[in-house]
Amino acid sequence: MKYEGKILLVDDEAHVRKFIGLILKQLGATTIFEAPNGKEAVEIYQRESPNLILLDVNMPIQDGIQTLREIRALSSECAIVMLTSLANRQTVEEALSLGADNYIRKDTPKDEILAALRQTIAECFTAE
Amino acid sequence: MQLTAGTQLVSQGTPPTARTAMEQKNTVRLKGRKVLIIDDDRINIRILASILQNEGYLITEADTGEKALELYEGLKPDLVLMDVMLPGIDGFAVCRELRARFGDNAAPVIFITAKTESDDIVEGLAAGGVDYIPKPFRRKESLARIRIHLQNKILNEQQKALVDQLKTANQAKNKLLGMAAHDLRNPLASIRGLAEFLRDGTVGQLTPDQLDLANTIFETSQSMLTLLNELLDVATIEAGELKIHKEPHNLADLVEKCVYLNNINAVRKNTKIVYSPPMEAPIVRMDQSKIKQVMDNLLSNAVKYSPPGSTVNVRISGFHPAFNVAVQDQGPGIPENERHQLFKDFMTLSAKPTGGEKATGLGLAICRKIVEAHRGAITATNLPKGGCEFSIMLPA
Repeated sequence: MKYEGKILLVDDEAHVRKFIGLILKQLGATTIFEAPNGKEAVEIYQRESPNLILLDVNMPIQDGIQTLREIRALSSECAIVMLTSLANRQTVEEALSLGADNYIRKDTPKDEILAALRQTIAECFTAE
Repeated sequence: MQLTAGTQLVSQGTPPTARTAMEQKNTVRLKGRKVLIIDDDRINIRILASILQNEGYLITEADTGEKALELYEGLKPDLVLMDVMLPGIDGFAVCRELRARFGDNAAPVIFITAKTESDDIVEGLAAGGVDYIPKPFRRKESLARIRIHLQNKILNEQQKALVDQLKTANQAKNKLLGMAAHDLRNPLASIRGLAEFLRDGTVGQLTPDQLDLANTIFETSQSMLTLLNELLDVATIEAGELKIHKEPHNLADLVEKCVYLNNINAVRKNTKIVYSPPMEAPIVRMDQSKIKQVMDNLLSNAVKYSPPGSTVNVRISGFHPAFNVAVQDQGPGIPENERHQLFKDFMTLSAKPTGGEKATGLGLAICRKIVEAHRGAITATNLPKGGCEFSIMLPA
């Protein structure tokens, strides 16, 4: 299954963007935008309207929760997957209640991340 | 002397502060200590005062219990000498009142009693007194008793201050540990993930030598991640942030799932985990993810320390209100002299994994903390036929 939608990958750490970026390529993605913080993410969102957003929680300048709020205020169309470092129940619950579709812990083995992303894509896009 | 859990640290590490307090033991300064004497007989007070003042003690006097209670708070005496028979409330009542108001911080009370009747002495001690001085006063005996109790009180205070200091230091250590582990985790997870991409050929085929390097990077970062996760667990548990969300679950389902998953790894060592289900469905109020962590730890340990080709037996037993899960391995067992260290932090014992696996020495310590947070217990017993049985008891 190839994913041909536009993807926005938001994380302040370059190594995470590189790692998750490779997973996205394995997923078949061809159009990937990257942002190191929430502020730039919202700017790219407004310009490019990506279909899937991978959003880190802890970031400088503007964190993931605030970014989630702003993007969800603009649209409920795109799928948003939060990238977390520790499974922090509260943060995860808050993100899901604010309209995130799923969350992935960044220390998950790559094949599991791949599977979780495929599942989210299947749930969010095949119904249409 | 009251020793709390934190005091154990002294015997383990002997930090510099602990040594200082111990050295002070023999040189506790008694001069200038405040003694409150309560007696309605002025002659008694005068005799006691003259004995004590020679030794450099500071004396305050009161002729009724009511006055003594009034004086006490402003004065904060180090020791109280108290007559039993007083005009208003008696000495026992004053002593009980001090205990009630100030608890363990109340100054030690020594009763002054003319009658050496044991009834009086017993009642005095029951009221919270630490000792008694018989009338007429014998100078040396009175001084010796007072000195001992003052010394005890001061040492107790030093001990408490030391324990507080160590607790604060321990908290700071945990915080640092938590932060370090947390900040190291993401980069490590990325290193592991990127190495995985290299070795599975997604980004181009590797030569065998290159593959070997990529594998080493992957495995090393994997075991470091495990260590960091365990460090983080210990840090949060010790900082009192172990949050247990208890809900009723079937323990047998959970154990069965863990056995299934651990068997996947066990196969690599040609080891088999055999599970015998219980008679009754063991419904236990527990935090599933935490108990799963405990089971995974016990099962992976059993595989780790048993020689290749072993059989690990898992059995659930017990009836409401308590259930047991036992994991029997075919490893070397636990040497008697290492038993007491088994569930402590960073304790890897003499037994080594039989397939080159890594041991961090934190797994069982975490298991104990999780099981105890469920008000359960974890034990290890060597089996007569060889091997060891780890068992957790969980209340329903």
